[in-house]
Amino acid sequence: MATLAPGVKTGPYHAVLDHIHPEPTSFIRKYIFSIDHKVIGYQYMITGGLFFLIAGLLAELIRTQLLSPNGAIVSAATYNQIYSMHGSAMVWMVIIPLVTGGFGNFVMPLQIGARDVAFPWLNLAAFWMFPVAGVILFSSFLWGAPDAGWTEYPPVSLQGPPGTSMWCVAIFLIGISSTLTGINFIVTIYKMRAPGMTLTRMPLFVWGQFGTAGLSFIATTALAGALLALFLERTFGVPFYDPKHGGSPVLWQHMFWFYSHPAVYIMILPVFGIISEVLPTFSRKPVFGYKMIAFSTVAIALLGFSVWAHHMFTSGMVPWLQLPFMIITMVIAVPTGIKIFSWMATLWGGSIHWTTPMLFATGFLITFTCGGLTGFFLAAVPLDYHEHGTYFVVAHLHYVLYGGSVMGLFAGIYYWWPKMTGRMYNEVLGYWHFWLTFIAFNGTFMPMHWLGLLGMPRRVALYDPQFQFWNVFATISSYVLAGSVLIFLYNFATSFRSGKIAGPNPWGARTLEWMISSPPPYYNYKKIPAVLATPYDFGNPLPYIGLEAAAGAEEATPTAASHPVPTL
Amino acid sequence: MAQRVVKPRTNLGPGFWPVTAFIIVVSAIMSYFTLTSPWPIGLIPAGEPAPATDALFRFLGAVGATIFNIVTIYTIYFGIVFAKPKNALPNAIGVQIHDAPVLEFWWTAIPTILIVVLAIYSTKIWLDIQNTQGDVLTVEAISYQYGYQFRYPRLAQPVSGEMHLPLNTPTTIHVTSRDVIHGFWIPEMRIKADMVPGLINTLRVTPTVPGRYPIICTEFCGVGHGSMKTTLVVQSQQDFSKWFAQQGGSQSSAGGGGGIPLSTGTVDAGKVLFGQKCSACHSTGPFSQKIVGPGLGQIFSDPAHPKLVNGSDPTTQNVANIVKNGFQGDIGTMPSAQMNAISNKDIANLVVYLASLSKK
Amino acid sequence: MSVSIAKQGYSLGHGHDEDAHEQVIYQETRDMRLLGFVLFLCSDVVLFSAFIFAYIYLRTTVAPSWPPIVGGHQLPRLDTAFAAVNSIVLFGSGVTMHYALENFKHANLRRYNVFMGFTILLGAMFLGGQGYEYAHAQIGGWSGNIFGASFFTLTGMHGFHVFAGVIYLLVLWYQTQRGVYTQERYFGLTAGTLYWHFVDVIWVGLFFLFYLW
Repeated sequence: MATLAPGVKTGPYHAVLDHIHPEPTSFIRKYIFSIDHKVIGYQYMITGGLFFLIAGLLAELIRTQLLSPNGAIVSAATYNQIYSMHGSAMVWMVIIPLVTGGFGNFVMPLQIGARDVAFPWLNLAAFWMFPVAGVILFSSFLWGAPDAGWTEYPPVSLQGPPGTSMWCVAIFLIGISSTLTGINFIVTIYKMRAPGMTLTRMPLFVWGQFGTAGLSFIATTALAGALLALFLERTFGVPFYDPKHGGSPVLWQHMFWFYSHPAVYIMILPVFGIISEVLPTFSRKPVFGYKMIAFSTVAIALLGFSVWAHHMFTSGMVPWLQLPFMIITMVIAVPTGIKIFSWMATLWGGSIHWTTPMLFATGFLITFTCGGLTGFFLAAVPLDYHEHGTYFVVAHLHYVLYGGSVMGLFAGIYYWWPKMTGRMYNEVLGYWHFWLTFIAFNGTFMPMHWLGLLGMPRRVALYDPQFQFWNVFATISSYVLAGSVLIFLYNFATSFRSGKIAGPNPWGARTLEWMISSPPPYYNYKKIPAVLATPYDFGNPLPYIGLEAAAGAEEATPTAASHPVPTL
Repeated sequence: MAQRVVKPRTNLGPGFWPVTAFIIVVSAIMSYFTLTSPWPIGLIPAGEPAPATDALFRFLGAVGATIFNIVTIYTIYFGIVFAKPKNALPNAIGVQIHDAPVLEFWWTAIPTILIVVLAIYSTKIWLDIQNTQGDVLTVEAISYQYGYQFRYPRLAQPVSGEMHLPLNTPTTIHVTSRDVIHGFWIPEMRIKADMVPGLINTLRVTPTVPGRYPIICTEFCGVGHGSMKTTLVVQSQQDFSKWFAQQGGSQSSAGGGGGIPLSTGTVDAGKVLFGQKCSACHSTGPFSQKIVGPGLGQIFSDPAHPKLVNGSDPTTQNVANIVKNGFQGDIGTMPSAQMNAISNKDIANLVVYLASLSKK
Repeated sequence: MSVSIAKQGYSLGHGHDEDAHEQVIYQETRDMRLLGFVLFLCSDVVLFSAFIFAYIYLRTTVAPSWPPIVGGHQLPRLDTAFAAVNSIVLFGSGVTMHYALENFKHANLRRYNVFMGFTILLGAMFLGGQGYEYAHAQIGGWSGNIFGASFFTLTGMHGFHVFAGVIYLLVLWYQTQRGVYTQERYFGLTAGTLYWHFVDVIWVGLFFLFYLW
């Protein structure tokens, strides 16, 4: 057992971490029904990646339809199903599972020096709900997919095709998965950190997962309630939302948004964590303002519960109530701004290596800031009276979700690619992916700001001819954006054969996952190391004790030759 | 290990101050154009409260542009200037700085102050909008899948198609829906309300620029959502009066009951109809048991209310007239029989049913 | 779960402090499972809260009167007296559950069996009472109006949780007979007790909201 220097805070020690379970031997237990968090992480990433491609295809159908003011290719009824499924799939079947179940599962236990999550079997169960829910959701096209947007407001959703009920079931199921994963992660992070890893020595990615897990397990069951009520009303006529039977359509909006606003923070906080890992590694300096970034993560999570009605300013909610929701929404800009400025200060004075993950993380700073600023325009109630329900909102949400979450996810994929696959990706292809993404993304979504302000509502299969130029501009840009994803896929596929062998730490990073082989052995750390400080101090030696034993090295004494100072 | 030696106080990077000056200049130019733009949203402000909204948009636009410039330009600048040089040692590191309390204080305090200012200014504009006058004309907009109807005072029939409003007239618009949630957005006026079935939402506007402006549905309402729009025609008060006169005569208070066969009404049929057509807004309790309109259970025998809402005596004929023509009241507009798809025979049944309630 | 920890041996090669070490490991995993279970109960509270919010919202801001007027007549209130008796049955089962656990901890297995049996019986009686209430309620049915919608949905969800709880307690009782739990390791019983008390607390809320208010 490691002895730590006298006076060094050790934090809780967890004897349970010492135990190594025997490795499974059958193919099914190794790759299909595995309780290994890394395998489950890969499974989430592959499933989420597949759903991303399907939902992205739906997006291209949307854009193609909007080439012409009269609707080029599909009927309005089909179009409504297409964009509703695009939104529903992207939120619930792509981003949330990827940031929590995908990256959270793979990276977080490694970063806290654990062998697995707190409840591995629960992790397995939660994963398998995901592809089942996805199949239920996508197969709704066969019977008429949900068509009232990802928000499915009644009474119109009460009239919707049978797929709307399937949507209720699918999202309910993925909600259970999300709740269970949130509980799993909280217990893991709270109880299973390596000796010496106090909360203030945790990597910021883990802080992001912690905040997200808290949001997940509290907010998701509120959505479950809303979905259950909608399902009961559609199927058995139990009145909650239909005013003809005494119900209230605004009730749905309260119940739905009470979850769905925290949901957007679920989609971004893990990505904030990714950025906080990538920027210091490739600037070769500590992340600036660690404590404030951690604090801001928690502040955003807590505040995120109290702003839901900013989606309802025009709904007929009690007027004076609009003001506190407006003000708290504006206040969230403070912790968010603290993070952006801290990340910029991380870049300042660095020795920056422009790798693909670094490009995506830096591009994120710009596009996410733009999305955050337009959020402020929506928070201001008088402006929201003009902007609600228009393409201005579509622009805002895609700036924070694509320019934010997806760009951050790509940063994470490229960053941990060597760790997961043992191979490097092709940097030139990565550069092409980034630059095409950055330019095409802005080309697609920037015009939507003024399209909305000038009078184009959202969720429309047709529009006024005066809007055609910018719609065509956006569509062509979106085709380029789709092409950039193809470059990524090609890079991914070919790296398995022709990628350089990565070794344990191709980036010279300092968090624990880089101290072991790529990919890691099934038990992660042969012996759990102890942690003395935050990982980001590039000027200092690695703040760990017992790394050689952790990596399972056989030699008794490390030498300069066997452990060179990591370089890029 | 090589370490870049940078003294934060004196050397923030090569060209830091010129870049900062550039940011200030660009932001000042963008702010200037935003603040002096007559149409910052890109559409003319055609009536109250649009100018107030535009003022807030200009201010927020200037602030937002400045913040965007700060983040974007500094990020690009840092990215270029602090890129690892080709000739640097392979294990070169950056400045090992963890925090800078004074800097962090200011970059928390200044946004906080900015947000306080914006919140106060937004609240002021919000109050201005809530206090927009609307006391001269009241119109009701009722939506359905997929169109709008407008009810004007003293017009028996609703207007389908375009909405007309007179210039410089403070107008209240009550909006609701017959079926699902629709939206009511007049971009040139910067006003919007959801049209929710079972609720009445209220907008106030004073058109100041004559013209034709779109009214657009902004809440998904079904397959026809994309084409659900109509036009607001703002015209001089004389032109509006001419148009208004063309829409039909005023609501007649007598003789409007022609053709209602009151003696053939049945209580049971009336009871069913009441449940279908009336119970959303009226209870069968006493007058005070309001849903939207008053309770009708004692309409023929209420000592506290010796007259009907339109001032006439509570006879079956007068009640039938109200059902037939609808009624424009303080609370809202009761749709006419035609809007409710009630035939004269239906009216007879309803009246007989109401009479039976009053006897209890 | 606790079965595998208790029965599965694993070797750490430390000889004499293996028992103490194993105890530490059990304590750690028990603490983790307790935290996880409590978090799960919190998320379940949120599920009920969503419907409670819906009920309060509909009753206070949407319905013009309560009970609502349906077909020209105001619906009657629910039978508070009957529900009060049924509530005492349920709360009583919470008391007996507490004593069941206490007796198990002190190795009084006969008393444990009595109290556990009563808990399950009282739980089943509560469900029977709810069935009676459902059959005799005059509030227009589940889908007739928002009173029925909120009452039957909320109490139905609660009843489903009680039903699941009764099954869970039966399983725990069976496991106790098979010797799965010892006086040092009885996390399953702790979790069952917590769950049962949770079901009681939810009922306090629902009783107040539907019968007293």
